[in-house]
Amino acid sequence: MKKYTFKGGIHPLHDRHEGKTPTADKPVRKFVSDTVCIPMDMHLGAPSKPCVKKGDHVLMGQLIGEPVGGLGVPVHASVSGTVLEVARRQNTGAGLSECVTIQNDFKDEWVELKGLGNVETAPADQIIPAIAAAGICGMGGACFPTAAKLRIPEGQSIDTILVNGAECETFLTADHRLMLETPMRVVDGLRAAMRATGVKRGVICIEENKMDAVATIKKAAGGREGVSVAVMKTKYPEGGEKQLIKAITGREVPSGGLPMHAHVVVLNAATCAAIADAVIDGKPLVERITTVTGCVREPANLSLRIGTIFMDAIGECGGYSEPAGKIFTGGSMCGICVPDDTVPVSKGNNGIVVLNEKEATPPETTACIRCGRCVRACPMGLNPYRLLNLCEAGDKAQAEKEHLLDCIFCGSCSYVCPARRWMTAAFKNAKDEIMAARRAKK
Amino acid sequence: MRLSLSSGPHIRAKSDTRLTMLDVLIALLPTTAAGIYFFGTRAALLLAVSVASCVLFEALWCALGHRKSTVGDLSAAVTGLLLGLNLPSSAPWWLPVIGAAFAILVIKQLFGGLGANFLNPALAARAALLSSWPAHMTTFLLPQRTLFVNTAAVADAATAATPLTAKSSSYLDLFLGNIPGCIGEVCKAALILGLLYLLVRKVIGWQIPVVMVATVALLSWALGEDPLQAVLSGGLLLGAIFMATDYVTSPMLAVGECIYAFGCGVILVLIRKFGNYPEGCSYAILIMNIITPLIDKYCKRKVYGEVKKNA
Repeated sequence: MKKYTFKGGIHPLHDRHEGKTPTADKPVRKFVSDTVCIPMDMHLGAPSKPCVKKGDHVLMGQLIGEPVGGLGVPVHASVSGTVLEVARRQNTGAGLSECVTIQNDFKDEWVELKGLGNVETAPADQIIPAIAAAGICGMGGACFPTAAKLRIPEGQSIDTILVNGAECETFLTADHRLMLETPMRVVDGLRAAMRATGVKRGVICIEENKMDAVATIKKAAGGREGVSVAVMKTKYPEGGEKQLIKAITGREVPSGGLPMHAHVVVLNAATCAAIADAVIDGKPLVERITTVTGCVREPANLSLRIGTIFMDAIGECGGYSEPAGKIFTGGSMCGICVPDDTVPVSKGNNGIVVLNEKEATPPETTACIRCGRCVRACPMGLNPYRLLNLCEAGDKAQAEKEHLLDCIFCGSCSYVCPARRWMTAAFKNAKDEIMAARRAKK
Repeated sequence: MRLSLSSGPHIRAKSDTRLTMLDVLIALLPTTAAGIYFFGTRAALLLAVSVASCVLFEALWCALGHRKSTVGDLSAAVTGLLLGLNLPSSAPWWLPVIGAAFAILVIKQLFGGLGANFLNPALAARAALLSSWPAHMTTFLLPQRTLFVNTAAVADAATAATPLTAKSSSYLDLFLGNIPGCIGEVCKAALILGLLYLLVRKVIGWQIPVVMVATVALLSWALGEDPLQAVLSGGLLLGAIFMATDYVTSPMLAVGECIYAFGCGVILVLIRKFGNYPEGCSYAILIMNIITPLIDKYCKRKVYGEVKKNA
């Protein structure tokens, strides 16, 4: 069996099954909370505009936020009930965002849904509008509006759609369970995207630490036009968009370009499932699977309504097993820290991981010993130790020349560094500053 | 609820600088034990003085500069042990003290401390001692004991002779260490045990030791020498396994490491064959240490996405 992979990379928590053991065998369990707090800026692009007000009664799937601008995405009510508040609240990101809080009446009364039916017979030109109306954005964490991704601009062509089911991040098992329990939704979503874009080749990519998911997906994909399954080596960041494209197609996304410049579109497995729901049943994106793990009493894969407060989800998992020192969304390599547990689950939230105080204590940084581990680990072929020296010296121009902007912030260099240097964080700051300076120039 | 906030990654690999240095110390255990077995308490004393002085000078430097002590990273202990293993057992006790001062204070700290030195501190100290006290550094005592075999070769070797001129030793004696030489260089079996440990623990790659030894073997053979004798003689294995592989002063990527190790091997053979010194391992590695930044500059990985748009 051929196993696809890329050059560089690391094996975090390899001796502990990538940290996935506590939840890998746990079937997805539905959990619905009393209230949900739905942010208007869950996607990349301008925040949506709330179109309900305090006291309004809303149905499940009802539009509560109208899209704004070219990368806008509509937001829908994830429960039926009464709007308690439309206000700015703390979100998973750094600042406040406009949120609609809804008191759940536990009736789950849906708005009238109009689907296109079978993905193989649905009119191809209606698929992308259905995806746009369902408010789908990338559910692997990057939150790029999916409909915009599938609208290939004039002059560009794509020939392959990759489904990212690698789930190379530590701790997370949400996509694994999704592929095991509802493989047909993933395949249907891929087929819908292929038909919408006229692409003949679709590959579902899964790491070899999930051979059970490979089997179920292979079975579901049997006889479907143009769909194949690729087994990837278990290595981080195997599911990085650029690494996945290189591994499967042998092509590289040009520096500063998008996957479509390598004639590829990459969709996360959960995004595909959401596309299937949107196309077949006309269902908007109102719930998602999230792995809740780490220092919680009963780690689980929960199917959560968008806007569920972290505290409620953690409570559903038996609460904290020891005092929390750090909570982040996503895995332990790229996860984004949250300031407290009152923040809501958003569309891109594939994991809630709690670390105890000891695990959260930052390691002490010492001098670089030029061991070269970061250089060998970098999946982009960069020189992290040198770039950090340049960033620390404030020489951003030279850092840019040495490809700082190609960094994908996967964290591999910081992970392997025996001197515990904070390379990834410094690169992120430097890139933000460079981009801000560029915008100011324009 | 007080949560800490940081950017990823939120976990780190187990191996830090201290653990890496500890691995090197563990890998040097067989060699240290063999050295003490062959050369007795005198060798043990020299090694102890060498390690203690390196650690003390490191602590002193940190204390005088009001810096946080870096003794805990064990790098000074590694330098001390390597310096001691590079001395003949006949050396006076004060020789490693001076060597340690030169290695830690001049070569390491004056150039910016751990990671910033451009020469291997232990090797630079050895070179300094060799040029300052050549007699002390080249008086090799016979091993007090031998391992398994006791051939005439050992008795034949004069106390003042360098190991490379004792051509009558059998391969087995050379391999086991029944020959005169520096404390740490005689027992090749122990050095290879250390190499295996470093490889298993992934502290070093195979490139530098294998390429350097292969270069020496091939080039010696081409120049009409006995390749096996060339490999098992002198400080080659100690240098190739423990000195040339120093992270700070060797290239970062495999390609660069191969060029570097090839250079080490070539210079070593040229010094042995045509130079005034019988052994050239230290100088070969020191010269390649200096070239390392240049090698790193030109041996880079290909950056992902360095292609024409829409190619």
